[in-house]
Amino acid sequence: MAGDDIQRPPAELRYADELARLRDADRGDRPPGWALSLDAARRFIVGDEAAGSSRKFVGDPSLIDRALVTLATSRGLMLVGEPGTAKSLLSELLAAAVSGDSTLTIQGGAATTEDQIKYSWNYALLVAEGPSTRSLVPAPMLRGMAAGKTVRFEEITRCPLEVQDSLLSLLSDRVLAIPELTGADGMVFARDGFNVIATANTRDRGVNEMSAALKRRFNFETVFPIADFGTELNLVEAEARALLERSGVTVPPRRDVLEVLVTTFRELRTGLTERGDPMDRLSSVMSTAEAVSVAHAVGLRGWFLRRDAGSPADIVACLAGTAAKDSGDDLARLRRYLEQQVTWRKGAHWKAFHDARHLLPG
Amino acid sequence: MAATFLGVRHHSPACARLVASVIAAQRPAYVLVEGPADVNDRLDELLLGHELPVAVFTSYRDGERAHASWTPFCGYSPEWVALTEGRRCGAQVRFIDLPAWHPAFADRSNRYADAERRYADVVDRLCRVFAVDNVDVLWDHLFEIAPVDRIEERLAAYFDLVRDGPAGEDDAAREAYMARWVRAAVAAAGDRPVVVVTGGFHRPALIRLAGLSTVDWPDVPRLPEGAVGGSYLVPYSFRRLDAFDGYQSGMPSPGYYQRLWESGPAAAADGLTGSVVARLRRRKQVVSTADLIAARAMAGGLARLRGHPAPARTDVLDGLVCALVTEALDIPLPWAARGRLPAGTHPAVVEMVAALSGDKVGRLHPDTPLPGLVHDVAAELDRYGLAAAGTRTLDLTDDTGLAASRVLHRLRVLHIPGVRRDTGPATGSDPVLAESWTLTEAGGGAGAGGRLAALIEAGGYGATLLDAASAALADRIDPAVPDVGRLAGVLFDAALCGITELSGRVLADLLRAVGAVGELGPLGTVLATVLGLWRHDRLFGTRHSATLGAVITAAVGRVLWLAEGVRGGAAPADLGRLGAIVATRDAIVHCGRTVDVDAEAALAVMRRLSGDPAVPPDLRGAAFGFGWSLGPSNVDPVRAVRGAADPQTLGDWLAGLFAVAREEVLAAPVLGVLDELVGALPEHAFLVALPALRQAFAFFPPRERERIARHLLARRGLVGSARSLLRLAATPELLAEARALEARVDELLVREGLV
Repeated sequence: MAGDDIQRPPAELRYADELARLRDADRGDRPPGWALSLDAARRFIVGDEAAGSSRKFVGDPSLIDRALVTLATSRGLMLVGEPGTAKSLLSELLAAAVSGDSTLTIQGGAATTEDQIKYSWNYALLVAEGPSTRSLVPAPMLRGMAAGKTVRFEEITRCPLEVQDSLLSLLSDRVLAIPELTGADGMVFARDGFNVIATANTRDRGVNEMSAALKRRFNFETVFPIADFGTELNLVEAEARALLERSGVTVPPRRDVLEVLVTTFRELRTGLTERGDPMDRLSSVMSTAEAVSVAHAVGLRGWFLRRDAGSPADIVACLAGTAAKDSGDDLARLRRYLEQQVTWRKGAHWKAFHDARHLLPG
Repeated sequence: MAATFLGVRHHSPACARLVASVIAAQRPAYVLVEGPADVNDRLDELLLGHELPVAVFTSYRDGERAHASWTPFCGYSPEWVALTEGRRCGAQVRFIDLPAWHPAFADRSNRYADAERRYADVVDRLCRVFAVDNVDVLWDHLFEIAPVDRIEERLAAYFDLVRDGPAGEDDAAREAYMARWVRAAVAAAGDRPVVVVTGGFHRPALIRLAGLSTVDWPDVPRLPEGAVGGSYLVPYSFRRLDAFDGYQSGMPSPGYYQRLWESGPAAAADGLTGSVVARLRRRKQVVSTADLIAARAMAGGLARLRGHPAPARTDVLDGLVCALVTEALDIPLPWAARGRLPAGTHPAVVEMVAALSGDKVGRLHPDTPLPGLVHDVAAELDRYGLAAAGTRTLDLTDDTGLAASRVLHRLRVLHIPGVRRDTGPATGSDPVLAESWTLTEAGGGAGAGGRLAALIEAGGYGATLLDAASAALADRIDPAVPDVGRLAGVLFDAALCGITELSGRVLADLLRAVGAVGELGPLGTVLATVLGLWRHDRLFGTRHSATLGAVITAAVGRVLWLAEGVRGGAAPADLGRLGAIVATRDAIVHCGRTVDVDAEAALAVMRRLSGDPAVPPDLRGAAFGFGWSLGPSNVDPVRAVRGAADPQTLGDWLAGLFAVAREEVLAAPVLGVLDELVGALPEHAFLVALPALRQAFAFFPPRERERIARHLLARRGLVGSARSLLRLAATPELLAEARALEARVDELLVREGLV
């Protein structure tokens, strides 16, 4: 089914070859219900050239170790962090590695109900036949428990508290009761291999409102923005290049322009300049993902407006929309940054960046 | 017989075990150890039977540079094991590296600091291949936890790989010197074995250089002409050894490795868990049995996943953090990164790191020779007649008095007991020229709290009183905690101690701390004080000091940055930030030529501030005055004053203007415009504007207020005494009575709960 016209195939399709290779060569012990051993799953995510597996997640390898071991225990895995730190990507990769299936996904939100988590009914059949396994419409949690697979719960903290707490008994007793059904069908016991990966971002309501009972059933892993400048720059360059190619731009992004971009993003994100002076952080999210999208926009502007690779002035023009969004305060902070924190740096592209500061609106 | 070269990582228990077993098996004639060769004739002193950790402290000072460094030893240091085991089997034991004061060590404060950071690329690649976070974890994985079979070959392979490419100039000099010792020892040993214990990075080069032909014993370098320095033993502590705590340390978590050395990995892991839990419970944190089970299961699982026979350091830590921390972390885990613990680290994680660090502190054997500082202090106190107890009054304008004062201040900043200053100048601009001190003989013995004990400890700071005081002051500057009051204190103490120039690193820390200050008012106070010291102070010899100049540059830059961040509508004038603007202007006026301050940038910031309606009025006024006082040609004060005429904010705007550009105001037609504006205010608006206006005009001293009054009389065509306008019509008694009445009313209101 992996047609070329699928916009974004799930990880198990995108990396089907790698998974197959790892599975064939896998001699390690597999936890019950797992598609791969822990070691092979780790190599799938952090990459292993010898095994023909690419590096898919840029971050501390120990984070992956902890996440995998957690999934092999009876606690769920909670990935928390700033938006845009690749939590969802990581959860998808983990699910693909552990269960070979990353599609059992619940998207949390203000309107999420228990139906979307556990099960609902096909009302035509329900009315015609009464409650039966035929009229039951299983939701991801029920399917994951019955099949022994990893279930992903995205943005769990955006759900109402009472909906979150419906997970409590599932995670501790590992059984889901369907009171409408009788006999053995009324209790669905989780099979080996079932576990939950939840993600939550620290900008929304955060995990503080989560009940202590639910917190106890998860191991928390914080995913941080990329610590190393070079790594982040390489990632932005690679991703932006891929995006630009898909958009029909034939020149690759310029490295010195991306350096300015990534440095600016990192400094506005951390509130610390390269030389260590504290400055204002922006209140909006300055994630690597946002940097990639600005790099993409810069490339598009350069190519389609002037047929070049994009200049530092394009960054300024794109920053207002990404970084400041509709916040006047952020716009002021950005302007102050361009006025005062750019001048002391050396290099023609920094100078061009500074000279373009009037492009900020307002 | 050829030498056996053991390449080790400093502070590695696995390497220490290897060293012990090789020495026991070979019973060599010579054991050569990477360490300061100038200490060779004092090895007996080193092996007196101290409680570890201890360090050889070396200080050096000549006309150009000052340097202090440590060569630390703990129980599991391979170098220490080589010394003790070599002695035990009757071998000749020698240190073979250059002395710590040698220029090859100029930028190192710890001889046994990790060399990996000099080979970062290779190490990064290895970490990627083994899928570990950093070199410490890699090392544990490859050597400390792994089974010990063939460790010698594996170590050699590791270091050959990491040391990929030529050494730097400093390392090459050291290796050439060490190789000469090796050749001489091999020649002297005849057919008996020689064991060489050095950092693994030096091993390949030493093997290569050992084949050269010269075989004479090398000379131990002598201190150059005119330089002072020396080496003394000082007690060391696990805290200082810990890489999480310091700058240039060896392996992290000495407490853990001590356990690993004594009782093996399984016991060390258990001990680690136990002490973390004990610490957390002592802090009243709930650590339930279920959490402990989860932590242990995680640690076991991680160890299996990572292929460790017993949980390694980070397996245990990762397990604990998974089980115990149930919220998002603000700061990445310290063992995934490296270096000092950043502020904001989760408290449970801080306890974990502390538990790993251990709190062991070394103690010297009573027969150990005392560090130079003790003798230096005794001599200084004698020289100025300060040895006996009693009170002293020192005249600071007199050279001897000033020198004596500096000695006592240096003792004070080192926290040596028995020295107390009773009176004396409190700031750089304090017109006090004498000091009085009380000296007591605080416990002459070596007991806790005694002066001698304190001096020995302070000996770690430096061998002379001046070095020690400089180092102690440097320690007080923490760039991570930009506390302006503390910075000002350090600078003033430095002036009192007669330390007018700070060394490069300290100055860099200081400037970083200034660059991190978050509040405008206190920063302005510091800038004004420093500017005063820089411009005027001959008493302390700080006039035109380069250190203070650099502080001025940094502070001006920071003031501009902070000023541009001030937002908010009408608010009462903030005298602190006005002071900061005044100090900045003064800095540009008075030291713009000698100190690097960017007047153009400052003017640009002030132009933006003065025209931005979102900036509070006092700052806008001050920013306008700033531009006016520096470049009067291109500003139009009359228009500016008219533009600020809103009665709600006029007074605050003027306060800013008057604070910065008082003299310009007096000389320009601004007063007339103001008179006109205020005269035209309706009654109510005038009352609204009045308090702030009063405050604004308070910036003028009486004589200038009289000038203003005269001007007003002249404008109205009146003749009379300007001074009488400034006098109150009422008698002082009446005023006192009114004030008493107001106080009584306030009291009543408060008592009845009406305010």
